[in-house]
Amino acid sequence: MVTETVTLQAVEKVFPNGVRGLAPVDLNIRQGELVTLIGPSGCGKSTLLKLIASLHAPTAGSVSWWGGDFSRVGSEGRRLSFVFQDPTLMPWSNVTTNVRLPLDLDGVPRAEAEARVLPALEQVGLSHAATRFPAQLSGGMRMRVSIARALVTKPDLLLMDEPFGALDEFTRNRLDEDMARLCARDGLTTIFVTHSLYEAAFLSSRVIVMAASPGRIYAEYAIDPGMPRDENFRLSNEFAAICRDLNALLSEVSHLDHRTEQAQ
Amino acid sequence: MTSSRLLSIGAPVAVGVLFLVVWQIICRVWNIPPYLMPAPSDIGASLMTNGPVLLHALRSTMLVTLIALGVSVVAGVLVAFLLVQSRVIERSLMPYVIILQVTPIVAIAPLIIILVKTTMPALVICATLIAIFPIISNTLQGLRSVDPGLEAFFRMHKASRLQLLLRLRIPGALPMFMAGLRISSGLALVGAVVAEFVAGTGGNSAGLAYEILQSGFQMDIPRMFAALALITLAGLVLFGATAALQQLVLRRWHEHG
Ligand SMILES: Nc1ncnc2c1ncn2[C@@H]1O[C@H](COP(=O)(O)OP(=O)(O)OP(=O)(O)O)[C@@H](O)[C@H]1O
Ligand SMILES: [Mg+2]
Repeated sequence: MVTETVTLQAVEKVFPNGVRGLAPVDLNIRQGELVTLIGPSGCGKSTLLKLIASLHAPTAGSVSWWGGDFSRVGSEGRRLSFVFQDPTLMPWSNVTTNVRLPLDLDGVPRAEAEARVLPALEQVGLSHAATRFPAQLSGGMRMRVSIARALVTKPDLLLMDEPFGALDEFTRNRLDEDMARLCARDGLTTIFVTHSLYEAAFLSSRVIVMAASPGRIYAEYAIDPGMPRDENFRLSNEFAAICRDLNALLSEVSHLDHRTEQAQ
Repeated sequence: MTSSRLLSIGAPVAVGVLFLVVWQIICRVWNIPPYLMPAPSDIGASLMTNGPVLLHALRSTMLVTLIALGVSVVAGVLVAFLLVQSRVIERSLMPYVIILQVTPIVAIAPLIIILVKTTMPALVICATLIAIFPIISNTLQGLRSVDPGLEAFFRMHKASRLQLLLRLRIPGALPMFMAGLRISSGLALVGAVVAEFVAGTGGNSAGLAYEILQSGFQMDIPRMFAALALITLAGLVLFGATAALQQLVLRRWHEHG
């Protein structure tokens, strides 16, 4: 059985305007991992995620999905879902139709698609809002609809770009707990971009710390405690120690940043 | 809710009634002759006596307006879809769309009237040329203003061109299109009246503009005002109808609960 889902080999991204979004990066995402990408703003986290979603083409290097190219993605056992920073819902469609969208685009028969929407909504606790429209939902609810839309395809790899960045801390913590539970239950492979080291510490089995200009991987940090984690984990000494370590790494990265700026 | 409703209907009605009363009083007190400035009661009387003729003219004008609006919607949307297909098409056609917009149609209306011998099609062409631009530009902008995140989502799921069009571009363009439709409906009426003025044709297809011209020649000023009142009424009905349509179509976008 293949255990790597996505492999990046010396992947580099230079934007048409000459900005080096990403210096050569090697990364191997194994099945069942929850990897978080963390680092200062502009260090290429979104760029890396978009390369993995094939929304960007690499300037150099190669990305492989389940040992093949992107055309393999979408078939059974190789599904990829993306949750953007904004909910990006269709304002003209109700919650059910929004969640059903990826199934419709993949050509799943209507009846089967309908039947899969409600369980996905139940997973994010929104089964009562199935017929509402995005304008009638709160920000946190919209984000949950977006997550349901990502989960409804039963993805084998879930990409999330600061999904809870715009939410208050209380809502964010609750959604983090939901995510931890869902990922553990389904053994979901997830790459999660965040600005919050507490979120990274809570969710991940591996944290990748990135540095800016040019964007690159600075360090990796593995977190052992098994899943699922709950509120108690947040209060443990272990959690505090992890946060301390991550904080040290992040301040190293930001000093590095400062130095390159001064050098320029 | 009810009191604000009362205010939004009652207040303008009160202003209108007050305006008419003051107008009536001024005309009567200073004894202004109707051929200079008719009082509202003179206009009302004229509306009664000339009712059948004016209503027939209103029908003609509305017919031209509605056909022109319909043609504008169909042709305007088609042009917008054509322009959005590729940069090359847009680059080569857009200047002509803009030329169409900046040329005062009033100036080329006589030419159209001469070139197109049958009155009705000539009027419709003039009105359409005036009304079509907001449909084209708004629909185009609507088709363009797709949420980039949603577009990325569609691309990631390998959506076909048709799926992108039907499930993303068209619904996404609706608010802009509806705004364009509201502007166009008013312009179609303006276009129809302008074209009638230029054509000056009477007979069976005589419109309200013709009635205004005729009343002017005959110094029947109350009848002129009566025709004008009907044009305004037609404009209000169009405005109300498109506003209601917009509300109906876009209800869900703005609903907050
Ligand atoms: N489409 C683009 N064209 C040109 N430059 C870009 C583009 N997208 C990103 N960049 C640049 O690439 C670098 C990395 O951007 P990216 O969005 O990946 O950062 P990020 O780590 O996600 O930052 P943030 O935490 O603020 O979201 C930045 O310097 C940015 O200016
Ligand atoms: Mg980003």
